[in-house]
Amino acid sequence: MSLLELHNINKTFGPLKALTDLSFEVGHSEVVGLLGDNGAGKSTTVNMISGIHQPSSGYISVDGQRQTFANRRDSAEAGIETIYQNTALVDCLSISRNIFLGRELTDRFGFLDLKKMREIAMQVLESAVHISGIDSPDKLVGDLSGGQKQAVAIARAVFFKRRVLLLDEPTSALSVRETEALLNQVLKLKAEGVSSVLVTHNLYHAYQVCDRFVIMSHGTKVFDVAKADTTIEELTQHVVLT
Amino acid sequence: MTDMTHDRAVAPRRSAGEWLHSLLSMPAGAILLVFIVVQLACIIAGLLFPDDFRYLSSANMGIMMRSVPVLGCLALGAGVLMIAGEFDLSIGSVYTLTAIIMAMLVGAGVDAFLAAPVGLLVGAVIGLGNGFLTLRFHLPSFIVTLGGLLFWRGAVLLINGAVQVRFDPNPVFNALFSGTIFGINAAFIWFIALCLIFWALLHRHRLGNHIFATGGNRAAATAIGVNTGRIKMIAFAIAGFMAAFAGILATTRVGSVQPGQGAGLELQAIAACVIGGLSLRGGRGSILGVFLGVMLIFTITDVLLLMRAPGFYLDMFIATLIVAASIFNHGLDRRGAES
Repeated sequence: MSLLELHNINKTFGPLKALTDLSFEVGHSEVVGLLGDNGAGKSTTVNMISGIHQPSSGYISVDGQRQTFANRRDSAEAGIETIYQNTALVDCLSISRNIFLGRELTDRFGFLDLKKMREIAMQVLESAVHISGIDSPDKLVGDLSGGQKQAVAIARAVFFKRRVLLLDEPTSALSVRETEALLNQVLKLKAEGVSSVLVTHNLYHAYQVCDRFVIMSHGTKVFDVAKADTTIEELTQHVVLT
Repeated sequence: MTDMTHDRAVAPRRSAGEWLHSLLSMPAGAILLVFIVVQLACIIAGLLFPDDFRYLSSANMGIMMRSVPVLGCLALGAGVLMIAGEFDLSIGSVYTLTAIIMAMLVGAGVDAFLAAPVGLLVGAVIGLGNGFLTLRFHLPSFIVTLGGLLFWRGAVLLINGAVQVRFDPNPVFNALFSGTIFGINAAFIWFIALCLIFWALLHRHRLGNHIFATGGNRAAATAIGVNTGRIKMIAFAIAGFMAAFAGILATTRVGSVQPGQGAGLELQAIAACVIGGLSLRGGRGSILGVFLGVMLIFTITDVLLLMRAPGFYLDMFIATLIVAASIFNHGLDRRGAES
């Protein structure tokens, strides 16, 4: 049984048909590359899985259980974390406050347990996600680089024990070295049992880490193939020509 | 960064330059420095020329303590709302309106301990109304509350006319809001207590975390699951509530309400916040900053009065302070955005 499945999903925005009969699945400990040119419907798909948009018809299931995600909290509860290109972090808050935003550790009156939040943040940053240059959880996120910000977002997902990471164009704002670190991170998480969906139009980054590729064009799936059965040339052709 | 911690471990006694740098990089650090310097200068001048510059006289201290809390409470409410990313220009009018309602109720024989909560409730409800209009119709709160400023100013004249209303509450109420305990004015104690409560709420409570997140990056806060609409509504309600509370303090002190008394206070409150380091775009600021902003405005006012300077110097000084503070804070904002 697949971890995450999309079943015959259609999505219309008024007269605009964004997704047509889209089905694909993400297995346990699998990295799937969701590829396609601009406007292929990748972002709509991500928003749907994370609960920001709802399908017009069709449904999503997790572990075979049919799900309705009314908002992002629902998808998070099902174990799905989305990491956006402009990562959903607040620049004016510290790293530890960002990691716990919306899920703060508090006493029963709602006052923050800052000490504990700090300790855990430091621990997660040191063990789970290794990106150099972050030496204190009190640093403001606004002072971090793009790669460091995504590391914080991933640390958040790891700490809250997500099972699927949706990475929406994660490498577009990163330096070469940061990209390398991020892709390694995806592989490391896979070894620990966390699946990822890498949404990108950079085929080379996808080819480096993905086990399977789903190529979209004009709101639907046009190609679905395991890495062993394809080459980067074939993938390029499907992205460009369909 | 690692080098710095290393230096610190080797030489725990930091040089004055490093100390200054860490103070300036603290939120509200610069304003704290300015405040300390101004206070020291005033105290030294007060000790050197006790007859000409009566800064340290008990009469002057009493005046300071009585005048700070009204603007202080307005600024606390306005500040929380600014951090959440919105403005309220109507707080000056709401402050007058709720004070008039309270005074009229007391005049009609209602106990002040009942009338005051009514005033606070009206303030909070008007704040919620501002929030509803702003969020429901996706308007800038600047416009909505500019409407509120004029509307409630007019409403005061409608329900009361242009005459002053006497406020004559029971003695317990008077003692509680304008009495003196150990030589300290009760209103000032209220202000300090509220500063501490707001500090705890904003910097140590989940609500404050969500307020900063909402003002700092609304899209991110929403994506992470913070109900930013609700947070903004709460912040609007707090601004209205604090306007009404300032109304109680002012009315109890003076013993009457003038229908025109709130005009311009909203801008002074925002000025205090800006001086205290709050960003006009939200997400940045601290309660210490708001407190110091208010204190600095009154200290400078006081100094100019003691030196018998004409009133227009005051406006010019405050204006300079606002612009200088903005330039400084804008530099900080930019530094944050570039890296």
